[in-house]
Amino acid sequence: MTRSRSLSTPARRVLAVLAQAAGEWSHGYDLCREAGVLSGTLYPLLTRLAEQGHLDAEWRKPAAPGRPARHVYRLTAAGRQLAAENPVTGAAAARRERFA
Amino acid sequence: MNFADDLPLQLVRLAARLLPSPLREWGEAAVQEVGGIEPRLEAWLFAIGCLAWAVREAAGSLFSRLASFAAARVTKREDPMPSLTEILERPRTLAMLCAVAATTAGLIYMGLAGAPALYLMINLGALAFGFVTLATLGLAAARQHFRPGVIGVTLGLILLAVSLWGTGADGVTRWVTLGGLAIQPSFIIVPLTAVLFTRSRDALSLLGVVLVASALALQPDRGMAGALAAGMLALAFFQPGRNSGLAAAAAVVGFAVTVARADPSPAVPYVDQILHTAFAAHPLAGVAVLAGSALLAAPALIARRGGRDDEAAYLVFGAVWTALVVAAALGNYPTPLVGYGGSAIVGYLVSLMAFPTRAAVPSAELMPLGQKDEGEDPSPLAFAS
Repeated sequence: MTRSRSLSTPARRVLAVLAQAAGEWSHGYDLCREAGVLSGTLYPLLTRLAEQGHLDAEWRKPAAPGRPARHVYRLTAAGRQLAAENPVTGAAAARRERFA
Repeated sequence: MNFADDLPLQLVRLAARLLPSPLREWGEAAVQEVGGIEPRLEAWLFAIGCLAWAVREAAGSLFSRLASFAAARVTKREDPMPSLTEILERPRTLAMLCAVAATTAGLIYMGLAGAPALYLMINLGALAFGFVTLATLGLAAARQHFRPGVIGVTLGLILLAVSLWGTGADGVTRWVTLGGLAIQPSFIIVPLTAVLFTRSRDALSLLGVVLVASALALQPDRGMAGALAAGMLALAFFQPGRNSGLAAAAAVVGFAVTVARADPSPAVPYVDQILHTAFAAHPLAGVAVLAGSALLAAPALIARRGGRDDEAAYLVFGAVWTALVVAAALGNYPTPLVGYGGSAIVGYLVSLMAFPTRAAVPSAELMPLGQKDEGEDPSPLAFAS
């Protein structure tokens, strides 16, 4: 039985940004900027979300020749539900505004 | 892109290598991201964040694997843990984890012994600086910019300048004062010179060792001179040759001079004599100091054996750091990594240049002994292999 646990503020912010993308793919650095989290916080979150089936991740071919392929992310249906159940609130929301 | 601009990318690459296998793809994703970040400050922040993540994951993975391995041994399982094998095949990663663990043990000791918080922060800062320096040197080696002979002579001249014009105290001159911090360059220069000499034993490298031995005799610093002598003697026995013999002779003469001269340095709290005093501060502090000190030479003992050059590098690395711990136990010399002092932490990490990122195939060692001696230009450095 999985234990239900309140999500941290950075996790809620990342989920909110991913949810706001409405099914579009997001990049790691964009998520850092828009959610206002450091890469050292973001990637462990993304790996956990992917492990738990809340996140789709795939490699996307480079947009232009000579550019590297990039890893992109978007929420699954379960992830969108998780984001809806864990909205960004109060001070966390205000903080997110500053980075948006 | 110039060298400095490239550093965040190299840091994230280092992070990707440190990550456990299941997370390697995520590390690769971060590598691709950092290349596109334009503001340099943001690229640095992104890189440092990734490195912190990788160190956390690698440490957690190592501890859990060691625990699993121990449990498997207790229950007499015969199949070895493949994950542990994988770690042992990455000698530099293994040694970096030992450095982090030993420094952490030092923080535990200092915290329990009541050292000023600034001391703990300086050791942590030195750990971060050491990783950045190691990554920089690794990058230089990978791009063939690393000339051990030139670096050896430069290091020797720097140490000689420190001995002649550095900061003195109680009749010895070993330090350089930078921004209010007293740095002991010999802690960085001696281990690095010793391990570089295992990779290149041409005339310039030999001159570097002679300069370092002379500088230590001038200071005088019995602990560091003993460590250099231990390393060079170990190399001379393991890979006999003209230059390795001359280097050992120079190091032994330098050490003999320091023994003959008076070394009146008093013990400094949280730096010297901590192997004796840690248990009095707190039993856990004592255990932390002993465990941290034991970890210093551990990478040389347990890393997967590779070619004969790697063996020589491990041997010299182990001899130098063991001698430094012995010196700390016998006299008023700093206890590396587990005591206060950033120089030793940076020096330890920089000397990990001795460790290949991956263990070489043993068959590569079929080179006649002493081939790299007598002034021949060595084969390309294996540092970045």
